[in-house]
Amino acid sequence: MQHLNIITRRGFLDRSFKIGLGVALSTLVDIPVVMKRALAEGNIGRNGKKLLFIFLRGANDALNSVIPIRDSAYNTANRPDILIPSDVGTDYSVTGPCDSPMNSSAADPTYGYTSAIRLGNGFAALHPSLKFLAPLYNAGDLALLHRVGYPKQSRSHFDSQNYWENGSPGNNLAKDGIFYRTLLESGLAHTAPLTGVSVQSSLPLLLRGSKAAMTNLTDPTRYNLLGIPNTLTGNAKADNALRTANGFPFPEKRNRELLALQYQNLSDTLAIFASLDFSDAGNTFRDDASTDNDDAPYYLFPTSNATNGGYALHGNNAAKYVVDTGAYSFFRNLKAAALILNKTEAIIAGTEFGGFDTHSNQGAITGQHANLQRRIAWAMYALRKYFLNYADKATWDNLIVVTLSEFGRTTVQNSDLGTDHAEAGVMFVAGGAVKGFQAGNSSGVFGCSPNDAYNGQSLPWVTGQTGSMFGVSSRYLKRAVDYRSILGKLIRDHLGATQAQLNRIIPGYAVPGECLLSGGVSSIDGTRIAGELGVV
Amino acid sequence: MRAGLLTCRAESRWESAYQQQLPEQEPGMPIAFAGVSCQFQKNRVSINMVTNRGWFSRWAAVPLALISLSLSAQEASLPLQIELTLTNQQTKIELPLYPAVQEFKILSTTNLATGFAEDTSGQVSGYTWMESLAGPANFYRLQITPMSSNALLTATALNRLAYGPTPDELERVLAMGPQAYIEEQLAPELIEEQLAIDAVTANSGWQYVTATGTGSSSTLYVYLTAVGEGYVDDLVLVRGTVAGTGANLLRNGGFESPLVTNDWTISSNHLGSGISTEIKHSGTGSLHLVATSGGSTKESAIWQTITPALSSSQQYTLSYWYLAKSNDLSDLTLRLSNSGITSSPDALLTPATKLFNNLAGIDDLRAWHVLHAVQSRRQLLEVLDQFLENHFVTQYSKSRDYFDTYYNDSALLGRLATQLEFKENSRWRQAPLNPQCTFSNLLVISAESPAMIIYLDTVNSKGNAKNIANENYARELLELFTFGVDNGYDQADITNMAKCWTGWSVNIMDLTNEFNPLAKSLRDLYPGVAVSNLAGVWAFQYKQGNHNTNSKTIFPGKTVPARFGSPYAGRSYQLTLPARTGTNGIKDGYDVLAHLADQPFTQEFLSVKLCRLFVHDDFDVGYDFTDPNLSPEGQLVRDCMMAWETHSPKGQIRKILAAIFNSGLFRSHGASMHKVKTPLEFVVGTIRTLRSQKPDGTFTAETDGYSLRMPMNRMGGMSLFDRGDPDGYPEAAPGWISAGTLAERLRFVQSVLIAVGQDDTAKSDSGRNNVTDPVALIKNKLPALKWPDAGAVVDYLLSVIYPGEGKANLDLYRTTAINFLNTNESGLASPFSSLSMSGNPPPYDTRVRGMVAALLTFQRFQEQ
Repeated sequence: MQHLNIITRRGFLDRSFKIGLGVALSTLVDIPVVMKRALAEGNIGRNGKKLLFIFLRGANDALNSVIPIRDSAYNTANRPDILIPSDVGTDYSVTGPCDSPMNSSAADPTYGYTSAIRLGNGFAALHPSLKFLAPLYNAGDLALLHRVGYPKQSRSHFDSQNYWENGSPGNNLAKDGIFYRTLLESGLAHTAPLTGVSVQSSLPLLLRGSKAAMTNLTDPTRYNLLGIPNTLTGNAKADNALRTANGFPFPEKRNRELLALQYQNLSDTLAIFASLDFSDAGNTFRDDASTDNDDAPYYLFPTSNATNGGYALHGNNAAKYVVDTGAYSFFRNLKAAALILNKTEAIIAGTEFGGFDTHSNQGAITGQHANLQRRIAWAMYALRKYFLNYADKATWDNLIVVTLSEFGRTTVQNSDLGTDHAEAGVMFVAGGAVKGFQAGNSSGVFGCSPNDAYNGQSLPWVTGQTGSMFGVSSRYLKRAVDYRSILGKLIRDHLGATQAQLNRIIPGYAVPGECLLSGGVSSIDGTRIAGELGVV
Repeated sequence: MRAGLLTCRAESRWESAYQQQLPEQEPGMPIAFAGVSCQFQKNRVSINMVTNRGWFSRWAAVPLALISLSLSAQEASLPLQIELTLTNQQTKIELPLYPAVQEFKILSTTNLATGFAEDTSGQVSGYTWMESLAGPANFYRLQITPMSSNALLTATALNRLAYGPTPDELERVLAMGPQAYIEEQLAPELIEEQLAIDAVTANSGWQYVTATGTGSSSTLYVYLTAVGEGYVDDLVLVRGTVAGTGANLLRNGGFESPLVTNDWTISSNHLGSGISTEIKHSGTGSLHLVATSGGSTKESAIWQTITPALSSSQQYTLSYWYLAKSNDLSDLTLRLSNSGITSSPDALLTPATKLFNNLAGIDDLRAWHVLHAVQSRRQLLEVLDQFLENHFVTQYSKSRDYFDTYYNDSALLGRLATQLEFKENSRWRQAPLNPQCTFSNLLVISAESPAMIIYLDTVNSKGNAKNIANENYARELLELFTFGVDNGYDQADITNMAKCWTGWSVNIMDLTNEFNPLAKSLRDLYPGVAVSNLAGVWAFQYKQGNHNTNSKTIFPGKTVPARFGSPYAGRSYQLTLPARTGTNGIKDGYDVLAHLADQPFTQEFLSVKLCRLFVHDDFDVGYDFTDPNLSPEGQLVRDCMMAWETHSPKGQIRKILAAIFNSGLFRSHGASMHKVKTPLEFVVGTIRTLRSQKPDGTFTAETDGYSLRMPMNRMGGMSLFDRGDPDGYPEAAPGWISAGTLAERLRFVQSVLIAVGQDDTAKSDSGRNNVTDPVALIKNKLPALKWPDAGAVVDYLLSVIYPGEGKANLDLYRTTAINFLNTNESGLASPFSSLSMSGNPPPYDTRVRGMVAALLTFQRFQEQ
C-alpha cells in the first residue's frame, strides 16, 4: 500500500514518522535521504575492519606511563615520591627496539624488573608495569602517542570525557558520540542489529545518539528474558507477545523513536547473543606459547585468581599475577567485547575502567597507578594473542585497539603524593595494521622526542624546567597533536570513511583553522599541532 | 504560518489527478476548508473536506480504486493522516495517530440529506477500520472522542508529581479531580500519614522472636554474624506451630544453670560469651553472647545437640527473647543445621528504627527511601526529596573513606557514613513542609551538610598563610548547584570563591552542638583522647584557623546579560566581602550562599531543571528571554523565574512548582507521556502500579525495599546516595535506555510477577521480597462475575497501568493481552474463562501473571 506522506521540513528531520514505528527497520520503504546517501558512500562496516576502544576514566598520568626519561625535568625535584627510576646500566639514548624485560626463569616475580623500560627512540621509556607492551611494540603493532590533547582543555572530568566522546571540544550540547556518528554514516546502523556494542554499566556517550540504538551489555550472561511460567514455552510466549507489540503504532511522543529503536535492537540481538558463551567456564583462551618464560601459556583474560598469570601454576603465588585482583570485572567485559567483535557483525565495541584519578598516593613502580598500567599492557597483549590465534570474523590485522583518557596530569606532584588534573596525555593504538616500530615508521613512539617533526612542522619535545612539561600555565604538558586527528585518521583510513563523512563525524575537520588534517597553528588557541600522524 | 499540500491521487483507471494548495493557516487555529474538490474522469470521486478538530468527510464510493489523502496540520504533534482504501472486497480506513483518544467511530450515510449514523458493518482495530464492501456506495465521516482533559491531567499528575499511579490513588484522584490533587500535593504538611515503615521500635527493650520450620537436623546453632554482643533468654523449642506450647526440647534454654558442654558448646569465636545475671529477661540469668568474629556454622557458633533427635517431617517452633546492645547491634542468628528453622531478629528491626538509633547501614537507608517512594501519600514530597538528593549530590563511599582515618571497625564506618546521608536526607524531607520554603533554605542545608563538606573536599581546605584553597566545592557550587556550567562566572570567580569556604570542616561534637559550628569539638576539649573513644556526633564545625581572612571580590564588574530581560538585565552582581577574622569568617560562606541563591542565573538553571523533571527533557539554559518568538519552553522558564522573583521571600519552591503545574505545557499533550522512567522510577512504578489495599489491610504488591537495590544497579548503575560524579544521575532517556538496560528492566518486571514459591531461581533474580499478586488486585476491584472475563480483566489492568493512553490508542495492546489470556504456552487455544482458580499454582493465576508481565514489558511502560 502506498503512503503519501506529506513531510514537513521539520517532520522529516525530527521524526521518521511512520505508521508502525516498530516495523522491522530493514523493511523501511522510505529510507531517509541521509541513509541513501550513506549507503553509496564510504566503506565503514563493509571492509571487514573493526575497532575496539577502552576508555581510561579518571585521567591517566601520561608522564609516568610513557616517560620522557631523558627530559631533565623528569626528576625528583618535580616528582620526589612518584618518579620512575632509570636503570643505571641502561643508556636511554641508544636507539633500537624496545627493551623486553621478560623473566629469565619461571619462578621470578612477574614484575621483577623495576626501572623504566627503554623504548628505543632515544628519549622515552615505559613504566615497568607496561612490560607486556614490549612484544607488541617490537612487532610493529603498537603506537604510543604522547602530548595528545585539544584546545582550551577542560580540567573537569565530566566535561572533558564528554568532549573526548562527542568529538566537539567545548560543546556540551552535542549529545551524540563520535562512534555513533561513525556507525550512522555507515548506513548500517538502521539495518544491522549489531553495529556498536559496549560492555559496561551503561551506554557511553561515544555510542549514544537519538537516531540509532547501539547495544550496551551490563552483564552479557544475563542478556536473556524470563517468562511466566519460566519454561521454554513460557519464555517463547512472552517473547512473542513482546515482538508483536513492538510493531504497534502509537502517536508520536519525544522518546518513542528511541524506545522503538532500542526495543527492536534488543529483540534482534537476543538471538545473536544466545549463541555466544560469555561465562567464566567458557574462558579458555590462552597464550600460544609459554608466557613470560614461565612453565605454561597464561590465560588471556584474567577473570579469577586461577586465570591470573602464573598464580595457580606456582602454588597460588601472588607475585606471579599479571594484573591486580580488582581487574577481573574489567577483563570479563573486555573478553565479552572481544568475543562480540570476533563472532558477530559488530563493527565497533568497547569498554572502560576507572581509578586513574590519582590525586593522592599515586604510587610509583608499585601502587595505584602501577596496577592500572598493568591492566592496560596485559589487555593489549591479550587482545593481540586472542585475535592472532582465535580469529573468526575479526583478525588482528583488521582490528585497531585504541585507548582514550580525558586529560593528563600535573608535572609536579602535589602534597598528597599524587598528581592533579592537567592537559595533554597519552593514547595507545594497537593492531596488526598499525605502522609501529620498523613497520612503516622507524619508531613506535610519536610525540615524545626532541626530534619530533610531523607534516613538515617541527614540534620537538623541549626539555627542562621551561620546556614542554611546563608548556601550559607553567604547570602542564602542552599538546602537540589533537585527539581528533588520531581518531579521525583511524575512522577514515582504517574503518573506511570518506573525508566528507569524516568532516561530519568530527566537525572540527571541516574547519580549516583547527588544522586537524595537516597540522599548523590552531586558530582556537594559537598552539602548533601536528595534524594527523602516520599510525596506520 | 504554513501551507500544506493536499494531494488526491489514484492508481490505475484514473486519468487525471487533482491537486490543491491549501490556504495558509494560523498556527494553532483549527483548519477549515471550503469544498475542495477532486474530480476524476473515469470514476467520479468528490472529496469534500471540512476539518475542525478532526472532523472531515470524504466521498469514496467507487470500487477498484485507490485513493490516498494526506494532510499535515499546524499543530506539530498532531498531524492528520487518513487513508481510505477500496479494494475488491473491503473498505479500509487508516485512522490518525492522535494521542489520548478514547474512541474512534466511523459514521456513514448513503445520502447526505439524511445525515450520518454509526456504521456498524465495520470494526476498528488499532488504527484501522474495515468493512466488507457489500452494500451501496457510502459517504464516510470519522468521529474522534478524546480522553477527558481531567483524565489526561490525572495521569500526568500521577506520573510526574508521584512515582506513577497506584490503582487506589488513581480512583481517588479521578474522584477529587487532578487540580485538587495538585493542590493537595503542594501542601504535604497537611497530608496526615502514619506509615509502618516510620515506626521506631524501642531498642532498649527485650524483643520476642519466633520462627517455625521443620526439623532438618538436631543441632541448634546460636551465633552473631559479626563482631559484637547481644543477649538471649528463654530459648524454647516446641513441637508444632504454636510457640511456647508443649515441652521445651532444649536443655538450659532459660540459661538458669551454668553453661556446661553437655548443654551448650561454645566455639572459639564466641569464647567471651557466658551467663549474665545482671541483664536477663526472666529467671536468674540470660545468655550474654560475645563474638570476636562473625559466625556461620558449628565451628563458629554456640550449639546444642538436641536429644531425642528431631524429625525432618515434623514442624517445630523456636521462640526466644533478644536484647540488642545499642551501638553494637550485630546479626543474631539461630538456626538448625541445614536451616530447617532459621531466625534472625535483626531483620525485624525496621529501617526507621535502625536509622534513628545509629544502627543503620547504607542499604537500610536505601530501603527506607524507596519504601517511602512506594508507600507514601506525600508523593510530591518524595519526588522533590529525590530531586534534591540528585541535585546536591553527596557520596556515601567518600564519607566512609574519610572516617577510615579515625576508626578501624568497618561496620562502624558504614554506620557513620550512613548517618551523614540520613541526616541530610531528613533535612530535605523536612524543609518543604514549610509553605515558604525557598531555594535559599535548601542551598544552606546542602552547604552545612557534613557529607557535602567531605564530598567536595572543603573539609581539609586551607586558605591561611600560603595555603591555596581547594576549588572543588566552589566550582561545583557554581557549575552544578546554582548557575549552571559557564553561565555567568569564570575561573577567577571560582578561585576567589574557594577562599570563602576555607574553614568549613567537620569534627566530632558533643550531641548538643550538632548544629553549632562555632563550638569547640570533643577533640578540642579532650585532646589526649583517641577519637574512637569519644562519644559524640560528627557535624559541621568551623575551623577558623584554616580560613583565608582577606577580603574577596567575586564577579568583579559583571552585570547580568541582556538576554535575561527585565528586571534582571544590566544588574551588577558583584559581591565584595570584607576582611573577616576569627569566627566572623564563617559569614563569608553564608554571604556567598545568600548572594548566589536568587541570581537570575540560578533562577534560570533551577527552573530549567525543574521543568525537565516535570514537563519534558528539552529545556535548555540560554534562552533569549527578550525574543518575541520565545518558544513555549522558554516562556515557561520565564514564568518560573517570575514566580521566583516576584514573591517575598524570593525563590519559594511552591510558587515555582505552581507555575509549572498550571502551565499549558504541563496540562496538555505537551507533557503527557513525554519522558522515560529512570531506574528508580521504573522499579518503584512497577510495584505501585499493582499495589492496591485489600480489606484486610495488606497490599496486592509489596517490596521490602532492600530488594530493589540490585535491579536499580543493573539498570545502568543507579546507586542511591553513592554517586561518584557530582552532576547527578541523568534525567533524560538516552542516558538510561539501551538494549542491555532494557533487558534488565524487562527481566525485573518478569521476575517480580513470578509468584513466590514458583521457580525460586527466576524469582530471586529480582529479589524474593518483591511480591505481586495481580489476581488479588483483580478480585479486589472487579465483581466476581467478571473474573473469568478476559475482556473485563484486560480493560481494568490497562486502565491502571496506562492511564495516560486513551482506550483507542491501547486497542492493539488490548487485543494482544486478551489473546494471551486465551492461549496456552504452546500457542494453542485455551479459553481464559475455563481456567481453574484452584491448584498450586492455579492455572488462572499463572495465566494472569503472564499477561500482566507482558503488558509491563511493552514499550509504553517505560514512559511517564
